[in-house]
Amino acid sequence: MENRIKEFRAKYNFTQEDLAKKVGVRRETIVFLEKGKYNPSLNLAYKVAKVLKTTVDELFTLED
Amino acid sequence: MKKDKLRLFIMAVITIALLYIIFLFFFSFPVEDLNIEEILTIIIPLVLIVFMSFFVRRRYMDIKAGMPLEDERSKKIMNKTAAMSFYTTFYWLLLISWLKGPIARMLGLEYLDAGQTTAVAILGMTVVFFGFWLYYNKKGKID
Repeated sequence: MENRIKEFRAKYNFTQEDLAKKVGVRRETIVFLEKGKYNPSLNLAYKVAKVLKTTVDELFTLED
Repeated sequence: MKKDKLRLFIMAVITIALLYIIFLFFFSFPVEDLNIEEILTIIIPLVLIVFMSFFVRRRYMDIKAGMPLEDERSKKIMNKTAAMSFYTTFYWLLLISWLKGPIARMLGLEYLDAGQTTAVAILGMTVVFFGFWLYYNKKGKID
């Protein structure tokens, strides 16, 4: 799954640690999320989207 | 967060208690009097202590930085590690049953009795669990 977390994070000037704290996960989870090496649960995807003031659709794209 | 701190504190207490027991064990018996079974049963908690110290230190720094002790990814890693090490244990036990002769000779014994076999099996399981945990933490892909 591709994502634009890094792009949105940069937009709001959040570090990975800031985002992790706001979402309530560990920093490594954000690192692996950004790399596309971890597929989040629906719950986490919504939390990240909410913190980054966007939608899940905008943030995550399913690869073919 | 308070619950996380309590859990971490309990983990640290268990690690220190294990270390203390090993020290007591060493001071109670001269090292040359220890048989291979006793040495193996010391190595198992030592491996656990190394694992727990590593784990507790990392988690302590995370809690200090305001991170949770565990999240959905770390829970998934723990589940996957437990499942994989449980599965691998069957092969490990099979290997021990095939190679108990060479293993015994390697340990300087004639044969492995039930206690020694159990100690070798538990040692292997501990190492396998630690290995898988490290692997999934570094590799990332757990889905």
